[in-house]
Amino acid sequence: MNAIDTRAVSQYLAGPARWTAAAAVPKGGLHGGGILIVVIVLAALGFSVTRMRSRRHTAQRDDDWGRRPPPAAPPPPTEPPAQATLVGLPAAAGSPVGTGPANSPAPRPAESPGTAPNGDPSAAPARTPRRAISFERPADGWAVETHGLTKRFGANVAVNGVELLVPRGVAFGYLGPNGAGKTTLIRTLLGLTRANGGTMSLLGIPVPAQRSLAQARVGAIVDEPRFHPHLTGRDNLRLLAAARGGDARQRIGPSLERVGLAERADDKVASYSMGMRQRLGVASSLLGDPELLILDEPMNGLDPAGMHEMRTMIISLVDEGRTVVLSSHLLDEVERTCDAVAIVDRGRVVRQGPIDELTRGTDAGSLLVDCADPARAARLIDEAGIAAGTSLTDAGLTVTLPAGSSRELVADINRRLVGSGISVYGLQETRASLEEWFLSVTTRLGENP
Amino acid sequence: MTSPAPTAEPLLSAGRSPTRPGRVTVPRRLGAALPTWDLIATKHLELRKRRGLMITVAVMIIAPTVLIMGLRLGFHLFDPAHYGPAGSPSVFNAIANLMAEFGFIVAAVVGAAAATTDLNDGVFRYLVITGRSRLALYLARIPAGLAILISALAISFTMLCLVTAYESVPQPTTVSMNNNISVPAHLDQAQLQTWAGQHPRQAGQAFFDILSGPGSGQVQPSASVASTDFTQYTSAEDTQFNPAPNEMFKIGLWLGLEIGIGFLVGLGLGSLTGQRTLSTILLIGLEIIVTPILARAEIPYFLNGQRLDVGVAMDQLRPAALAPATPGGGGGPGGLLFGGRGALGIPPMPTWSMISVIVGWIVVWSVVGAWRMMTRDA
Repeated sequence: MNAIDTRAVSQYLAGPARWTAAAAVPKGGLHGGGILIVVIVLAALGFSVTRMRSRRHTAQRDDDWGRRPPPAAPPPPTEPPAQATLVGLPAAAGSPVGTGPANSPAPRPAESPGTAPNGDPSAAPARTPRRAISFERPADGWAVETHGLTKRFGANVAVNGVELLVPRGVAFGYLGPNGAGKTTLIRTLLGLTRANGGTMSLLGIPVPAQRSLAQARVGAIVDEPRFHPHLTGRDNLRLLAAARGGDARQRIGPSLERVGLAERADDKVASYSMGMRQRLGVASSLLGDPELLILDEPMNGLDPAGMHEMRTMIISLVDEGRTVVLSSHLLDEVERTCDAVAIVDRGRVVRQGPIDELTRGTDAGSLLVDCADPARAARLIDEAGIAAGTSLTDAGLTVTLPAGSSRELVADINRRLVGSGISVYGLQETRASLEEWFLSVTTRLGENP
Repeated sequence: MTSPAPTAEPLLSAGRSPTRPGRVTVPRRLGAALPTWDLIATKHLELRKRRGLMITVAVMIIAPTVLIMGLRLGFHLFDPAHYGPAGSPSVFNAIANLMAEFGFIVAAVVGAAAATTDLNDGVFRYLVITGRSRLALYLARIPAGLAILISALAISFTMLCLVTAYESVPQPTTVSMNNNISVPAHLDQAQLQTWAGQHPRQAGQAFFDILSGPGSGQVQPSASVASTDFTQYTSAEDTQFNPAPNEMFKIGLWLGLEIGIGFLVGLGLGSLTGQRTLSTILLIGLEIIVTPILARAEIPYFLNGQRLDVGVAMDQLRPAALAPATPGGGGGPGGLLFGGRGALGIPPMPTWSMISVIVGWIVVWSVVGAWRMMTRDA
């Protein structure tokens, strides 16, 4: 793998600090001044009560996990924290691309995060096989389709002619640093703000022309999930279910159970932690039994166990046939969860497609060869001209694979070495991670270290 | 904790295929502008569970009646020799006027809260995402908020009426006029004219206008009762008698209208500004500063501008039992509240323009609020 300045990457991706933390009267005896004072005192009393409650709520935001029900599947102890995912751990061996039919995603095997295929808990988590993705236009339209979508705030162009195609039935990452325009695009798609130009459709339904119809089949979390703090989680869902209408009210219970909040559903949201609010946000987005879920930074504020649960939930939602669009600046989370990504930079989509295809196009893949005679093996490979380069290290021979090479090349190298009488004890291929690819296609790292 | 009843088919269906047409049932009225009952009920729930807001409503609408009437009932119960019955026309008048002033203010507070809590709590965007018409979301707030305010008003006003009707001094049979002259009660203008003709000396002392006619100081044998005299008579009657049930009902409706206007204007202004505190302060200022100034005296070349104030129009509509008309204005019983309210100090406007001003305020602010909600970035 290429050496990466992890600190620079962290700073670049983190961007500016995010706000995650979340406030019997005798006639003639009563004069205007007196009334005014009474009114002011009462108003001040009311506001004080509200503020005190708000402060108490804020203070209780982070207590969380002590009172919530234990997660169904305890996270493995080696789950990397958010910061570790931010700087990017080296990815394990590349995974084959699925071969399912177009628009018929094959269910993905259950993820076992934190454990490498060889069972070494200290190794990086494995990337699970991704779904086959076709970028041919589906008969019933893309899950999300935009053409030339533009949103300006004064002179600032937050969304700049975005061309985006999200296939159905996949987890799709919308990836970019803070301030790149991810949330603005989502808000525009959902009708929370008006576009200045371009066209868009959700599930093949043009918006804003038929927004109500489209949004009835869409669930979303935009930015931080927010709720009325003085209401219980269940009451908040009742409010949203009433707005949705239909069968939404009957889905409140199942949604709460699904996100693991059933036992805390009758507590006030003010007492919820950020993680619980995120889960309540997911529950609210499930009220409409949506075909398309748009989740904006769903991992924000979650601890490693919460991130694991969220990831598992997203994968299960996709396995049910839903499309999940996941906006995030956490590269590793997107790489672990999503099948395809679009990279947004300064309001523009600079690249999109299946992750495996996108990362395959880079020249960062390498092969660590553990063999009996590394020097001779290096000469052999150099003479064959099948690799981009070789180098000898303490670990052995490292072969730099050419851009776009397939896994067959690894087998070819193995055959040549064995055929030349060199004993091969092991081959470890390292493909470029999404993070490396991300850095290769974005431009701001040098400008804003 | 309540667990959901098992269903034959999972509500969050696993293995669903998004490509199957018609799988998702789109609620029929999703795009409709009219709010559903469920939407109104949940909005009512959201407002009702705001403890601070409900305390404010209770303190400003219900508490004055409970406290004042409770104390008067208690004093009269324990020391009837020194404290008269709790109910009296003047107490009714004072509390009802207080209810109107505080009611408008608290209605504006509730309206501004109803308009801004979704925004301030960050829930508005999630309501918009549901696909529900923004207009329906706005309209749902109106019955939800009014239900709270009208309930509080009904409790308070009913208590006031009951105490006034059943715990009051016996009603007199005469009206005490100038110079303590007693005039029979419940006369219309013709009957009063007849009485004046039969009792010219008392009529001359009771009604200043008769004395101030030609030959002032002498009793006119055929003294006639001018319309101003009759107004003076009815005003005295209103202050000395408990309102009749139909008059109480009229007062209740007027109070409801006052509160409704406060709520709708607060809702519209809150929706326009998106700021609860600012909206509340502006409407309190309108109610206790601007309106009394505009209602008290005619400002040269600005009379029609003064009449555009909804408070002035509502003062003109104020039931007689609360605001006896006083020619010249400003000096009636209600005029002592907030420096002149309760009786117009300016020439009254035509009825159609009074109604236009009231309806105009309701419609304009509702349209402005709904428009802002429909165009606002969520």
